[in-house]
Amino acid sequence: MSSHREAPEISKDPVADSTDVYAFVSPDAPDTVTLIANYIPLQGPAGGPNFYSFGDDVLYEIHIDNNGDGRADLSFQFRFQTKIADPDTFLYNVGPILSLDSPNWNNRQFYQVVADKNGQSKQLGSGLACPPCNIGPLSTPHYGALAQQAVHELPGGIKVFAGQRADGFYVDLGAIFDLGDLRPFENLHAQYGLGAFTKPAAGVNATAQLNVHSIALQVPISQLLWGSPHGAESDRGSVIGVWTTASRQAAQVWDARAGASVSSGPFRQVSRLGNPLVNEVLIPLGRKDFWNTEAPGDDKQFASYVAHPELASLLPALYPGVFPNLAKLAAAGTARADLEAILLTGIPAGIVPGFQNYTGPVQADMLRLNTAIKPSKKPSELGVIGGDLAGFPNGRRVFDDVVSIELRAIAGATVPLVNPKYTPDAAAALVTDGLTDSSVPSGYLDAFPYLGVPYSGFNVS
Amino acid sequence: MSPSQRQADPSPGQTSPPSRRSVLRGAAGVGAAGFVAAVGVGAAAGPALAAGNSRAAAQSDTARPATGQPDTAAGPLVVYLRDAASGELDVFAGTSHAVIRDHELAARLTSAVRPSAKRG
Repeated sequence: MSSHREAPEISKDPVADSTDVYAFVSPDAPDTVTLIANYIPLQGPAGGPNFYSFGDDVLYEIHIDNNGDGRADLSFQFRFQTKIADPDTFLYNVGPILSLDSPNWNNRQFYQVVADKNGQSKQLGSGLACPPCNIGPLSTPHYGALAQQAVHELPGGIKVFAGQRADGFYVDLGAIFDLGDLRPFENLHAQYGLGAFTKPAAGVNATAQLNVHSIALQVPISQLLWGSPHGAESDRGSVIGVWTTASRQAAQVWDARAGASVSSGPFRQVSRLGNPLVNEVLIPLGRKDFWNTEAPGDDKQFASYVAHPELASLLPALYPGVFPNLAKLAAAGTARADLEAILLTGIPAGIVPGFQNYTGPVQADMLRLNTAIKPSKKPSELGVIGGDLAGFPNGRRVFDDVVSIELRAIAGATVPLVNPKYTPDAAAALVTDGLTDSSVPSGYLDAFPYLGVPYSGFNVS
Repeated sequence: MSPSQRQADPSPGQTSPPSRRSVLRGAAGVGAAGFVAAVGVGAAAGPALAAGNSRAAAQSDTARPATGQPDTAAGPLVVYLRDAASGELDVFAGTSHAVIRDHELAARLTSAVRPSAKRG
C-alpha cells in the first residue's frame, strides 16, 4: 500500500511500479506546487552491490489535468540512462563518494526531463545527475548534503530531483493484510475463532526502514494553470488533477548473445497512480493490471468499485457489532456518493466550508489540488477531515495519514457530507492502523524534496 | 534517449513492412517459443524489402499521434505472431509498431520454430 505491489503483473516489475504520488502547495515556496512520484517499492537499504536505480527502459511521467477531463494537459516526462565507469570491477564505488562527479562512483545514473504541454514537447534538462543510493558511513559519509547537490534548477523556475528517498508513507502492512487486522482494535476482530488477540496493540510501520526512488518537481503555479479563471479558492480553474504513469515499450526480448534485454515499439502504460489506495484496496484483483493501463478520464468503468467498496462490507463482518450503521448502509446497496466525490470528481463547493476541489462531472482518479488554498501553519495529518484544508484529499502532503483518512471515509465517517441523515458509527471516526507521521524514523525535510534522507544499509538493523 | 517516445508512433503508411527474409533470419536465431523474432533493422533493410510482400497488408499503429520521427533507423526489430492461423504479425522497431497480415510468412515462421527445424 498505498500502491506498493498493488497489482499482480506490476508487482513483478518494481522499477515501473509506482508507490505514492504527492501534490501540495510548497510550504516554503507557496507560489509553487511540489509534485512527487515514488517508484521501486520496499527497498531494503542494504541491497548491494547493485543498489537500486530507475529503469533505463521505462518512461516515467507526472501528469497534470487542468480542465477536468481526466486527460493530461501537461506531462513531465523522465528518461534515465545508467553509465558504468569501470565494467571490470564488481563494486558500486571504489572509495567514498563525496560529490556527484566523484571518480570513486562507478555506477551512476543521469536523466532528461521533457515537458509535454498539449502535445508540444520541450526539453527542460538533460544529463541531470541522480545521487547515489545511501550505502553507509564509508561510502556515502555526508549523504544529506551529497543528495542535496542533486536538486537541479530548470528553466522557468522549476526544481527537480530524482533519486533515492526514505519512504514517507506509513502503514501497518503486516497486520492489515492479515485479514484486515487493525492492531489498536484487534481484540474486537472476529479472529475466525482463533482467539489470537485478547487486547489492543500498537501499530507497526512496515515501511519504517525501507526506501523508494522519488521523482520530484517544484513548479510555479503559474505554469500549471491556464484557460479557466483561477487564483481564487472558489475557482474551478484553480484545481489541478495529478497522477503518475510508467510505460514500457511493447516488445521485450531477452538477447542471450548480448546478455541484455531488448525493447522495441511504442511505449505502453503499465503503471498508474493518483489517489492513494484506490487500485490497492478498491479495484478487484482481476482488473488491477488493466486499471493500470487506463487513463483517469476512462475511470467511469471502475466507478462502481468506488461507489460500492468491498471493504465497507468487510469491516462489519471482521469487527462484529462495531459498525452496525455501516452494515446497514452496505446491505442496502447505497452508492457511496461521498467516496465518489472524494476520489473521482473532487468535493464541490458548499459541502466543506471554504473548500472545494471539484473538477467537474468526469469521474477520474486523480489527486485534486486546489492551488489557491495556502499551506497550513498548523497542519493536521488528517487533512480535511482534521480541519486542515491544505491536506489530503486536497492534494496530498508527504506526512498525511492517508491510511486512517481513507479507512475512516470507507467506514462511513464522510457519508454525512452527502447524506446528513446518516449517523456514522462511533468507531468510524476512530479507526486507524495505529500509526502517525512520527512512525517514520527518517522524518521529513522542511524543504524540497521534502521526503527524508534514505536509510543506509549500514545503519538498518 | 528520445525526448518524447510516446509520440513517435507512425501514421498509417509511414512504416514499411519488413521482408519475410529478414523476419525469418531473425526467427532462425531465436530459439524461444512464442513466435517472436528479433533482428537488427540494418540487416532487415535493403533489396529484400521490395520483394515478397505482395500478399502482405500493412497497418501502422495509430493509437497515438505521429508528431515525432519514427525511430526505426537503428536498433532491433521484433516480430510477434500471436496467432499463426490469423497470419497477423505485430512488427516493432524503435518506437514504431505496424501490423501486417501475411499468411505465408506466418506459416514459414511457424515452420521455422518447429522442433524438427534446425535452430540457430
